[in-house]
Amino acid sequence: MTALLAAEIRRMTSRRLFRVVAALTVLAIVIASLIVALRSRSTSGIAGDRRFHLTALAVALEGTSPVLIIAAWLLGASFIGADWHAGTVTTLLTWEPRRLRVMMAKLAGCLTVVFLLVIAVQILLAGGLALAAAVRGTTEGVDVAWMRHTAGIALRVAVLSGVGSAIGFAIASVARNTAAALGVGFGYTVIVENLVRGLRPQWVPWLVGDNAVMFISGQSAGPSFHRTILQAGLLLVAYAVALLIVSAAVFRARDVT
Amino acid sequence: MAVIEIEGLRKQYRQLRGERTVALDGLDLFVPEGGVFGFLGPNGAGKTTTIRCLLGLVRPTRGACRLLGVDTGSDLSRVIRRVGTIVETPALYPRFSGRRNLELLGRLHGIGPKAVGDVLERVGLAERADHLVRTYSSGMRQRLGIGAALLKDPEVLILDEPANGLDPAGIKEVRDLLRRLGDEGRTVFVSSHILTEIQHTADRVAILSRGRSVAAGSVAQVLSAGRAQGVIVRLADLTDGVTALRSAGFEAVISNHDDIRVTMPPADAARVTRALADQGLYLTELRPDEADLETVFLELTNEAGRGGAQ
Ligand SMILES: Nc1ncnc2c1ncn2[C@@H]1O[C@H](COP(=O)(O)OP(=O)(O)OP(=O)(O)O)[C@@H](O)[C@H]1O
Ligand SMILES: [Mg+2]
Repeated sequence: MTALLAAEIRRMTSRRLFRVVAALTVLAIVIASLIVALRSRSTSGIAGDRRFHLTALAVALEGTSPVLIIAAWLLGASFIGADWHAGTVTTLLTWEPRRLRVMMAKLAGCLTVVFLLVIAVQILLAGGLALAAAVRGTTEGVDVAWMRHTAGIALRVAVLSGVGSAIGFAIASVARNTAAALGVGFGYTVIVENLVRGLRPQWVPWLVGDNAVMFISGQSAGPSFHRTILQAGLLLVAYAVALLIVSAAVFRARDVT
Repeated sequence: MAVIEIEGLRKQYRQLRGERTVALDGLDLFVPEGGVFGFLGPNGAGKTTTIRCLLGLVRPTRGACRLLGVDTGSDLSRVIRRVGTIVETPALYPRFSGRRNLELLGRLHGIGPKAVGDVLERVGLAERADHLVRTYSSGMRQRLGIGAALLKDPEVLILDEPANGLDPAGIKEVRDLLRRLGDEGRTVFVSSHILTEIQHTADRVAILSRGRSVAAGSVAQVLSAGRAQGVIVRLADLTDGVTALRSAGFEAVISNHDDIRVTMPPADAARVTRALADQGLYLTELRPDEADLETVFLELTNEAGRGGAQ
């Protein structure tokens, strides 16, 4: 099982999409930190405080979270989609015929890499902005409570990215195809969620999008509903687990041709 | 003990639109231990489907497959370490090198880099081993697939058209490899279209047509089944020849427009020479009519085809 997992992690990290995503985010972080540093004024004058405050990091993390989560979802879907496309599932099953094991290893490899990637990206972002704040801005207001709050957001973004990649993985594994999973995801977020918001507002507390916003920011995006961060998180994890169970059952039963 | 036992195997593929294709229709197959077993059949006969059932990739609609004594639907993992396979075109990760691909697979069963290097050498990929698989030609991919099948040093090889896409030298290499593996006491189950290759490599064959086995046994048995022995005679005037032979009591017909086939045991061929010479006819060639696998194959699969169409 460890050899299987190690192979999947290795495969995930050598994927082109993974490398492109990683390279692009590093680039974006460097550029963003530079812009922040350049625009920051080192004095606070009559015109108001125009210094860059490191305390804005929390907002920055929330702001970047949708991009990270969508990237995670893409990584999850394309990881298994590419496997089906290349026909390598067949090869692997002739070395390890226990399908559940194979699927668990693939999922675990994907989740590990996505989670670590998102954490690393956020640490990098924090580092870049901290540097900008130290050189041309201010770290005023940075204390233990703030750190705990910010770290909480970063951790939740990473967890939600994991959930996102698991959902992408589950759909692409049933469809045996990345594009189909992208279509389903797009159709759901753009069409289903908006239809529900328009036609059945009482169902909004069950939508993925609204719970995701709630989970990251602690506030509801649209019409308010009551749910704690933990509840929202558990609901999203439950959705992902349900989809994974379905996809595992399908993977066990269906012919591999 | 039988290495492969297939009984009453039926497989019906279901498509989304509700259409059904019967790929296997009550196939029985018994492959004894050791030697090369050729599994022959025209396109769409069900060879790949049989192999997929054997490897637990496809679930039979009815019937069962046993490999090394275990049911492949449930217990395949107990014997998979002893079985090397190629299913259709071998698929490996295009963005890893050939070596890395084999190393990752090998690790699943504790097979180290040394064995990987040896196998790459054996299939003639040592030079390109560290290039990405996506830069390989299709013949090189096929070689890598053969390498993956050999990597477990398996007792049983199940190979679906292993010579696919190889050049003539490669085809010969595969044939020699199969023969060597069979001679080492391994069981090699190989599906193929290339009948002349199989005829000289396999110890036993089964011919599959429309999902059923239409002939099985040793190569000699299958070749002689249903065919009367005969000799082929060539001479300048075929019509005179046939007339002369018939009047001497032989059963003779013109075959292929350029020779005469006489139904008789080849050992008695001297009688033909005399019968013709008595009429002042002199033959230019006389040889036993040896059925080749191709002829038998075409006859059997055509008959089965006509049977199925009625
Ligand atoms: N996934 C599938 N879905 C539907 N039908 C299939 C599927 N795979 C194979 N078939 C059908 O099953 C039959 C047997 O196919 P199979 O691939 O086993 O033949 P084969 O003997 O390997 O042929 P070839 O020599 O061309 O490789 C064919 O009629 C084929 O169309
Ligand atoms: Mg085939």
